[in-house]
Amino acid sequence: MTTYPLNNHEDILNNAQSLRWEIGADFHEKLMESIYTDASQIADRAVIRPDKKPRFDLDRTIDRLVTSRVWGFPLMILLLTIVFWLTIAGANVPSGMLATLLLDTVHPFLKGVFADLGIPWWIDGFLLDGVYLATAWVISVMLPPMAIFFPLFTLLEDFGYLPRVAFNLDNMFRKAGAHGKQSLSMTMGFGCNAAGVVATRIIDSPRERLIAILTNNFALCNGRWPTQILIASLFVGGLVPAHLGGLVSALAVVGVAVLGVMLTFASSWALSRTVLKGEVSTFSLELPPYRPPRIWQTVYTSVIDRTLIVLWRAVTFALPAGAAIWLASNIVIGGDSIAGHLINFMNPFGLILGLNGVILLAYVVAIPANEIVIPTILMLTVLVTGTAGVGSGAGVMFELDSDAQTLSLLQTGGWTLLTAVNLMLFSLIHNPCSTTIYTIYKETGSKKWTWIAAVTPVLMGFAVTFVVAQVWRFVESLL
Amino acid sequence: MPDPTITLIITFIVIAAGWVVFRPERGWFWQWQRGQKLSAKVLQEDALKHIHQCETHGDKPSINSIAGALKVSPDEVTKVINNLEAHDLLHFEGGDIRLTPAGREYALRMIRAHRLYERYLADETGYEETEWHDRAERFEHTLTTESTNQLAARLGNPTYDPHGDPIPTASGQVIEPQRILLTNLNLDKPARIIHLEDEPETVYAQIVAEGLHIGQVVRLVESSPQRVKFWADGDEHIVAPIVAANITVAEMSEAPQQAQVRGEALSTLQPGESGRVVQLSYRIRGAERRRLMDLGVLPGTVVSNEMSSAAGDPSAYRIRDAMIALRKSQADLILIEKETAQ
Repeated sequence: MTTYPLNNHEDILNNAQSLRWEIGADFHEKLMESIYTDASQIADRAVIRPDKKPRFDLDRTIDRLVTSRVWGFPLMILLLTIVFWLTIAGANVPSGMLATLLLDTVHPFLKGVFADLGIPWWIDGFLLDGVYLATAWVISVMLPPMAIFFPLFTLLEDFGYLPRVAFNLDNMFRKAGAHGKQSLSMTMGFGCNAAGVVATRIIDSPRERLIAILTNNFALCNGRWPTQILIASLFVGGLVPAHLGGLVSALAVVGVAVLGVMLTFASSWALSRTVLKGEVSTFSLELPPYRPPRIWQTVYTSVIDRTLIVLWRAVTFALPAGAAIWLASNIVIGGDSIAGHLINFMNPFGLILGLNGVILLAYVVAIPANEIVIPTILMLTVLVTGTAGVGSGAGVMFELDSDAQTLSLLQTGGWTLLTAVNLMLFSLIHNPCSTTIYTIYKETGSKKWTWIAAVTPVLMGFAVTFVVAQVWRFVESLL
Repeated sequence: MPDPTITLIITFIVIAAGWVVFRPERGWFWQWQRGQKLSAKVLQEDALKHIHQCETHGDKPSINSIAGALKVSPDEVTKVINNLEAHDLLHFEGGDIRLTPAGREYALRMIRAHRLYERYLADETGYEETEWHDRAERFEHTLTTESTNQLAARLGNPTYDPHGDPIPTASGQVIEPQRILLTNLNLDKPARIIHLEDEPETVYAQIVAEGLHIGQVVRLVESSPQRVKFWADGDEHIVAPIVAANITVAEMSEAPQQAQVRGEALSTLQPGESGRVVQLSYRIRGAERRRLMDLGVLPGTVVSNEMSSAAGDPSAYRIRDAMIALRKSQADLILIEKETAQ
């Protein structure tokens, strides 16, 4: 090496400068590499590892089964189907019990108390029919499925199976420019999109994490399943003989969910190739050892961390929504309620999309929670058609016990098969609920991505329903 | 209710028009944006850069060469040149275009901005290698001296851009290394590849096929009229002298330690086989490289292939007692030395 005279600090600086040129571009990396290598050598000297391999390795045996080319995918589908079935079947009973308690018992009781106290009707209506009813509705529909789904899902995670799902599915997601772990946040999204967005924290690559956040809305969340099931069984199931009705409507709902998955892949692909191209992307996926799930701890943390947090957020958004719905239906300006004016205003646009003004207004006021879309639609339909003898008055959400009654009410409201199909599509493809939007903002910390996540799906929903309506009417005009 | 036939046709036309105008890369809007007449400032700065490049390579810049580099007409170049001369950034010396000291300083500032920005794109974004140059070419004109210095500080004052070219310092210092053709290198003296000539194409294709890249450390073993034999990052290469003459290197004062073994891609390991990491390819960079190092993928680490996923890719590797799944595209870039089964 050349030696330099080092007389003063300028010489030293110059010397350093020229040496920097000589050591090349990658000296930072070389330095880091040697630090890491030193550390690992020290660790190797200091840590004693049992070098005998066990004859039977349980982990590898399970791994060979769950990642085998033959059994990997069928096993995964079977397990996830069981989880979903347990959720849907298991949630019905507690949901019904909560509804009976909160909607059919506590609500009339409170109404009675208010009446006895002689409280003016508008305070009673605002507080009980508006605020209380919307909140109670959200709780009774939302709480049971989440309280079943999240612990089950967390148990699978705790056992170590879910990383293997991500491992098996990574190939598919890689082709769409996404991360295998997105399969997990997407599945979580079937339970609740807000929880799905939080679940993207497991993805450590910035680009793929944003993709997972922005596309989570296309996983049909449990607030939307009831809407899909009701509308499919009323309109789609009604097309075929009664004994096939259940099967056909179930297929229609699954079809919508599968369409959602396909949209997830398509939009992941498009995002990774356009707006997210410049984000840093890395891949690594750790497959932790299997371990017996800690059941009580899992149930506790998943109920506290996931269910209650999401429920709390939903309730805080449902409170003002209930108030808004009640006020809009009861404040009368120029001979019609605010809701009536809004419906008339949106109706022409809604009809072009193959929907109607009632549905659009219901989606505006139901931004806080998809659970209240159907009750709101029914209430608003009664409001605009003036149907007598159904529902409990302006601004009071309700659901009917019999499907036939619901069907005839909706048909009075001008519903056709096209309206039903487009409602199912729009229910899949529209803005995330406000809880999810807020969660996206919390997770990304960016207004830009929050706006994109909120607005793009609505525009896509308008486009899809518009095209479907036009094609539908075109075909109808030919027949 | 509008007639569905008409709305359908209109929708189709709108979608088709939108696709033609806005589709990624080749849409009319993007083409128009790229073809936008470059502002006078951009043209001047690009002309200065071209002249500076010619001077460092010992070529003579001319109106035509500038017109070719800037993709504009010679008339326009004449205007640009006159403007630059009026600002005292260049002058004519017996018919040759020469930069004034001020012009040279300006050109170096542009080169600094360009190379720093390329470094930034390589280290801190996910853009593909093929996009770096074009993006830097556009962005360099928007960087002020101050923002360039901030960028440099943020990147840890790098000395070389991702292509191996030196980045001029803030004071305009730049070391253009002594350029030697690989054929003229002293035997057994370590040197770094600093330039790969991409003309003629057939020769360049051979260089690429050998896997040589800028920044690689080479050591000449044999140079005869028949063949040139050298080591590059642990791999032995034998090429024809005509190929070696297209490789420019700079001598290094001190040789870095290097493993003189031929590495195989990690992806060639079959389930049950194991190997010892030799090195990570230079193409793994930035966050990805740090992540792999965090996981313990370092020279000397023993890695074994445990299984591949139900879809074939990725594969799970046992690295320091942890099971880590890596995609094939990553495993292709990690070089290992296979270990014989115990």
